[in-house]
Amino acid sequence: MLRMTLAVLRKDMTLTLLRSSGLVQTLLLGLLLVFVFSLSQGVGENLNARNAAAVFWLSSAFCQVLIFNQLYALEETNDSRLGLLLCPAPIQAVWLGKAIAGLVLLLLAQCVFLPATVVFLGQSLNGPLRPALAILLLTDTGMCALGSLLGALAQGQTTRESLLSIVLFPLLAPLLLAGTGIGAQVFGSADPDGPGAWLGLAAAFDAIFLAAGLLLFAFLYTGDE
Amino acid sequence: MLELDRVAHLYGHTLVFRDISCTFGAGSITLLLGGNGAGKSTLLRIMAGLTRPSFGAARFTGKSGKIGHLAHSTFVYPALTALENLTFWREAHCLSMTKEGLLSILGRVGLAARAHDRAGTFSRGMAQRLNLARILLLEPDVLLLDEPDTGLDAASQALLRRELLEARRRGACVVLTSHDIARDAQLADRALLLEKGRLAHDGPPSRLSPPDVAEQACCA
Amino acid sequence: MPKYPLLPLLLLLSGCLSLACCQYLIYFYAPAEETMGLVQKIFYIHLPLAWWALFSFFLVFLGSVAYLLKRAPVADRLCAAAAETGVLLSGLALLTGMLWARKSWGVWWTWDPRLTTTLVMWFVYAGYLVLRGLNLSAQRKGLVCAVLGVVAFLDVPLVFVSARIWRSIHPAVLGAQGGGLEPEMKLTVAACVVAFGFFWAGLVWLRKGQLDLRARMHANAETSP
Repeated sequence: MLRMTLAVLRKDMTLTLLRSSGLVQTLLLGLLLVFVFSLSQGVGENLNARNAAAVFWLSSAFCQVLIFNQLYALEETNDSRLGLLLCPAPIQAVWLGKAIAGLVLLLLAQCVFLPATVVFLGQSLNGPLRPALAILLLTDTGMCALGSLLGALAQGQTTRESLLSIVLFPLLAPLLLAGTGIGAQVFGSADPDGPGAWLGLAAAFDAIFLAAGLLLFAFLYTGDE
Repeated sequence: MLELDRVAHLYGHTLVFRDISCTFGAGSITLLLGGNGAGKSTLLRIMAGLTRPSFGAARFTGKSGKIGHLAHSTFVYPALTALENLTFWREAHCLSMTKEGLLSILGRVGLAARAHDRAGTFSRGMAQRLNLARILLLEPDVLLLDEPDTGLDAASQALLRRELLEARRRGACVVLTSHDIARDAQLADRALLLEKGRLAHDGPPSRLSPPDVAEQACCA
Repeated sequence: MPKYPLLPLLLLLSGCLSLACCQYLIYFYAPAEETMGLVQKIFYIHLPLAWWALFSFFLVFLGSVAYLLKRAPVADRLCAAAAETGVLLSGLALLTGMLWARKSWGVWWTWDPRLTTTLVMWFVYAGYLVLRGLNLSAQRKGLVCAVLGVVAFLDVPLVFVSARIWRSIHPAVLGAQGGGLEPEMKLTVAACVVAFGFFWAGLVWLRKGQLDLRARMHANAETSP
């Protein structure tokens, strides 16, 4: 299973980063979102910390939808999905491989979104950075576990992007709240409770949806037309 | 090696076939016949485990669990080179073969010179040859071919026939559907005829009554 | 000739009658609330709506698990009926809740965990219904919807907890709903919940019966020449 996971991961990274326009579309969309929100600032004022964090996570969420669309579309050109299904390893390897690929791509995109948020929305990083980084990773993991599961859902559909967004966004609400909550703290909004509660929530979300992905993926990723 | 136990399949609410029970032994080539819409492709997909039959079961009793499926879809990633495609399938199937081994397989299907070209630049026939290379790499115990000649030129078709015989010699179980009944009836040890949702004939191809074959030839 | 669906109609009828009787309890038996006055009466409709909506979603979850295990089309149709009813009821619960909130708290909307959870669930299951409307093969649609039905229900507690952490300062809201109910009020609301339960069961059953009939009609149309 591990070898197939790595094979899928390597192939997906090669195909997205080296052989196609890669993250360009995704990055542009995210940056545009940040830019559009920066228009809501008046002269000489900055968006408050919580709003800025929400914009950052909104960009990330759109980015994630596009990434998983792209990753699952790779198998559709010549029905390679069937080839993967014929491999002896459990098919969850595909879910895992694509989730990891998505995680790497999402982190890359966030490396651009974070400075963009700081610059365009006039924020500064001065909150609890280490727990914030942990929550960022946990949140991204949860997003990718769920995204990789539901990415297989829209297989063969023409309206994939919008379908995936309307299904995925509300389900991600707890994670986005956690991300926004901690982001607000990083951008300097004080919170008496600290990051502990959010850390627990994000971890619980990850545990539930990693398990759900492992259990349910085989039902979604099938040879049916 | 492969066993079908009272398999029946519904497409929507329409019955495609029912009560298909037979076993496929090692070292055999079976020709699967039937008119358009008789369910040949569906049956092959069920045997490969890609489609879940509505009733009954397909059981696989081979040792290594390697199933090869060659159909109209080429499974090729256009943005990867021919060699990268093969390397990916080697990894996905957990096989051990060196790069030289992969190149020699590409040589056997006549793609050695194009090994480092992207598969997206290939013609349909070349992509199908790359697909054939994937099968050669796999050396499957069960080889299921759904009209494998589509898009192949004469040389590749001859190569495919040689590989089928080689697979039989190796002890693999081969099942194929074909356009060219006359030629493949000579190749096969056994012929199955799907007709009106039933298994109408199961035996040596020579026993197929001439009207069946004639009907096949015009339907195919 | 299919049997006329007598039982669901009886359920619906008894639901209607008992709801009518409940009106008496609501307006003459239960005392008027001191601070909110007459508007508080909306609570007796609001609570059953919300509870039975949640129960509908639980039914979707059970039906989805059953479908994944057995692949019985009837489980899929039960999910469809329950999800439609659930979206309808939770939508109504949101509307009645808004009216009540406007009068008692002075705002149309407040981000109380319960409200937030109901809204997010409404979004999730509305997306689920969109997925049901897609043009997929029956088997594929059943699988996809069943997976989403399971995932969506797993998400509900997470949404609730996250909304709670997010807005941790709202003792007034919790106090107003949970605690100080007089015994007459409790009895009235219990009667309303039971009466609405009949109505709900009849509604789901009737809808499932319709879907069963439609499936049979399609089957007949396809098999007859």
